Amino acid sequence: MTYYLKEITRIKNNCYSNQGQLDTVIGTRHYINNNFDNELNLDLLSHIRFTSKFHLLRLFKRYYGQTPMQYLIDRRLDKSKELLLKGQNVTETCFDIGFESPSSFSTLFKSKFGLTPTEFQKRAIFTRSDKECF
Amino acid sequence: MIVKVIGVPVQDQEKALKFYTEKLGFLKKVDVPISEHNRWLTVVSKEEQDGPEILLEPAPNHFEPAKIYQKALFDAGIPYTQFNVDDVQKEYEQLTKLGVEFSVKPTKMGTVKIAVFNDTCGNNIQIVQML
Repeated sequence: MTYYLKEITRIKNNCYSNQGQLDTVIGTRHYINNNFDNELNLDLLSHIRFTSKFHLLRLFKRYYGQTPMQYLIDRRLDKSKELLLKGQNVTETCFDIGFESPSSFSTLFKSKFGLTPTEFQKRAIFTRSDKECF
Repeated sequence: MIVKVIGVPVQDQEKALKFYTEKLGFLKKVDVPISEHNRWLTVVSKEEQDGPEILLEPAPNHFEPAKIYQKALFDAGIPYTQFNVDDVQKEYEQLTKLGVEFSVKPTKMGTVKIAVFNDTCGNNIQIVQML
């Protein structure tokens, strides 16, 4: 058995032995992935997993390194890139991914990707046409 | 700062290019001769062609400590780097069919599933799926 395999076994036993907690956080993540375009909040997520919201918050952060709401925002923003690349306009994209305000969507988008959704879309179009030219 | 290039040491650039493109499905991005037997050779993910490039660098052939470090990691079964996939089990099955050897079969590790294969160029590479 290699050193790495021994370490995997050790870490699994030390850090990931509570299957109930794992099922809760993995189930929550899947629920967010499948419903990110709906209105989601911690009350709903904790209700679905039959747990308290503070417990869920702590568990999710412990296993994924971010809160369920931070994960939800990241998931929505990643999806928004796909839609923008397909040519969908910013307002429509904003509502399709579950945000309620185009301006807060643009602010969040810029803070994560360094460009506003409009700038991102323009750059993608220019890059595409550059490639086509060559 | 942005991450543009990530180096992976390889013992044979041509063999590495074949493995990373033909078995793993990466695309060649840059191939520039540097000297007689060395190239600035990078590949990118097919799904993210403007994403980070993997530089297949021949460091183990020219710098003894790089060779020792690579071998020590390999012998200990430690991955040199890791790539994300949607489904580790599916990748495992596809790569196994192509003759790729795995030192760690698909294994759940908390909120991820991992597997480790031999890239035939001196490295263990880990694939990871977020559960």
